[in-house]
Amino acid sequence: MRRLLPAVALGGLLALLAVGLVFALRPGVEPSAAERADALARELRCPDCQGLSVADSPTRSAQEIRRQISSLVAGGAGDEEVRGHFVARYGEWILLAPSSPAYWVIPFAVVAAAAAGLVAWLARRRPAVADSVVISDEQRRSLHDEVEALDA
Amino acid sequence: MRHLRWLLVPILVVPLGWLLFTGFGRDPREVASPLIGQPAPEWTLSTLDGDLLSTDDLAGRPYVVNFWASWCIPACVDEHPVLAAAHDRHGDAMTMVGVLYQDTTADAEAFLARYGDAGYPHLVDPDGRLAIDFGVTGPPETFFVDADGIIRDKQFGPLTDALMDERLASIGFDR
Repeated sequence: MRRLLPAVALGGLLALLAVGLVFALRPGVEPSAAERADALARELRCPDCQGLSVADSPTRSAQEIRRQISSLVAGGAGDEEVRGHFVARYGEWILLAPSSPAYWVIPFAVVAAAAAGLVAWLARRRPAVADSVVISDEQRRSLHDEVEALDA
Repeated sequence: MRHLRWLLVPILVVPLGWLLFTGFGRDPREVASPLIGQPAPEWTLSTLDGDLLSTDDLAGRPYVVNFWASWCIPACVDEHPVLAAAHDRHGDAMTMVGVLYQDTTADAEAFLARYGDAGYPHLVDPDGRLAIDFGVTGPPETFFVDADGIIRDKQFGPLTDALMDERLASIGFDR
């Protein structure tokens, strides 16, 4: 079981690497201004809703934020600049996804650590269980006799 | 030594429980404003009375910006006398400004007629641009701006007299 540990860790690492490669190698098509504005609206939290993005909400604030995104994009602002415009007002709270991609690693790291811990725990537990069921031939014979007696 | 392993359970569960408990007891929108310590947004807007008011008119004096709505019940009703009292007490040294948050002028006027108009101006913010500039997520929210035009404090939710005194101290009004 303990020998499986490096294999599990390596497998997890390879899976992460594959996901990263797929994302990195996606074909890069230059999005239009409207597509960029829409993508940004989907990243921003509607300030007076519960867990909705600005793109999904009909409130007046959401409408105004969509209008401001469009005019910023039309004015030549980059994605980071548009996000910064709203972060300066609302703080990081306005972003539906964390700003640093490093945060995405946390849940994977926690799951991997928990899995590694579980594997290590099971590996350590197994021999203890095996030891406790070792019985002498004499005991085995007497157990066998007792069971036979019950069956009879 | 084997029993010590069971200590792991409270070590893991207690902080998690505490996190959930405090998390659920808090309004997730109540976040520290990045605007505190920053210059207040500039604006020129018309008031309920139809006059134009701008940040230039307030220059050199501390002011308080209160976002409210007639539909914000009971919070805005509860804090209404607190705002009026602060305006009565400090109105000669600072300016109290109300801002309608996603409200109609007719409803706002009806609210003031019913609960009392303290006489300070209320800005009409038709597309909600000023609310976005102040990072408002829902009324009531109140910002305290000092004489240099810097936002010094923010109240999320209704003000009480005690909270008003505490916040006003940040822009130079002793209790």
